[in-house]
Amino acid sequence: MARKADYKRFEALGIQNLAVSANLTFSQQTFAESLKLPFPLLSDFPDRKVIRSYGVLNERTMTAQRSFFLIDPQGTIRKKWIIENGPTTVVYSDTLLRGIEEVVGKR
Amino acid sequence: MTASQTEARRPTLFATILAAGLVIAAAASRVDAAEPALASLLQPLDLRGYRSATIAPGFSAETLGGRELTLTHLRGKVILMNFWASWCVECRPEMRVFEHLHRELGPRGVAIIGVNARESTEVIRRYARELDVTFPLVLDPAGKINTMYGVIGLPTTFLVGRDGRAVAFGVGPRDWGSAAARELIEALLREADSPAR
Repeated sequence: MARKADYKRFEALGIQNLAVSANLTFSQQTFAESLKLPFPLLSDFPDRKVIRSYGVLNERTMTAQRSFFLIDPQGTIRKKWIIENGPTTVVYSDTLLRGIEEVVGKR
Repeated sequence: MTASQTEARRPTLFATILAAGLVIAAAASRVDAAEPALASLLQPLDLRGYRSATIAPGFSAETLGGRELTLTHLRGKVILMNFWASWCVECRPEMRVFEHLHRELGPRGVAIIGVNARESTEVIRRYARELDVTFPLVLDPAGKINTMYGVIGLPTTFLVGRDGRAVAFGVGPRDWGSAAARELIEALLREADSPAR
């Protein structure tokens, strides 16, 4: 959860972080409390409509493939990162922040 | 174990990053919306309360004693469900307190349950023998119950009311033998055990 520590850097760029997973809100509450996450977790369980509509549903495990989407205020996806080998790949905030800065510009 | 629907095994997340200003309907429940009557009792123990209509996820699983434990069969009891592991240093003192509560309050309708996190039966048996644990220890070798409850840190403890509703939870050790804990448990024992809404 590198992004937790860097949360203010995302905020400074005007970014609202949201996390979506195919878990019950019940388990997400425990998860969020355990990590003291400063941003909301959204449950897409059991329908997985959001995950499927973003094209990142792993049909075998029925979980979301690790991925990030940058959406502008008009609702347009401006950039996305689809992570291969999600469970073992570390995604650094700097990678995301650089990509975001390319779109929204440095502040 | 059984579950009506299979949940994602791990809380794999993908972040949707929105530019500020876009209003979204936040579907995540707030965890600090405890029932007013209980809120003051949760505070001294730093427990997070659930909304009153939250039901503790059901499961059936084998215990160390070889029996099947079904959560819904404990309806009518106040349940203290503790997630633990033998390697968890902070879990150890709690186990002794839970054993004490089990012996003292078990006959009055308090069910203490330990849910192990992904360890072998042999390890759990040795641990239970060493600490003289007699309350039910649920086996969860694949971590399915841990995942269902979102447990990623140990110990984590959940309180379930007599009507089956999830009352509160705490991540990290708590003084379950304290006067504050006793006051909370007694308050839950005084509640009616009508089925959860």
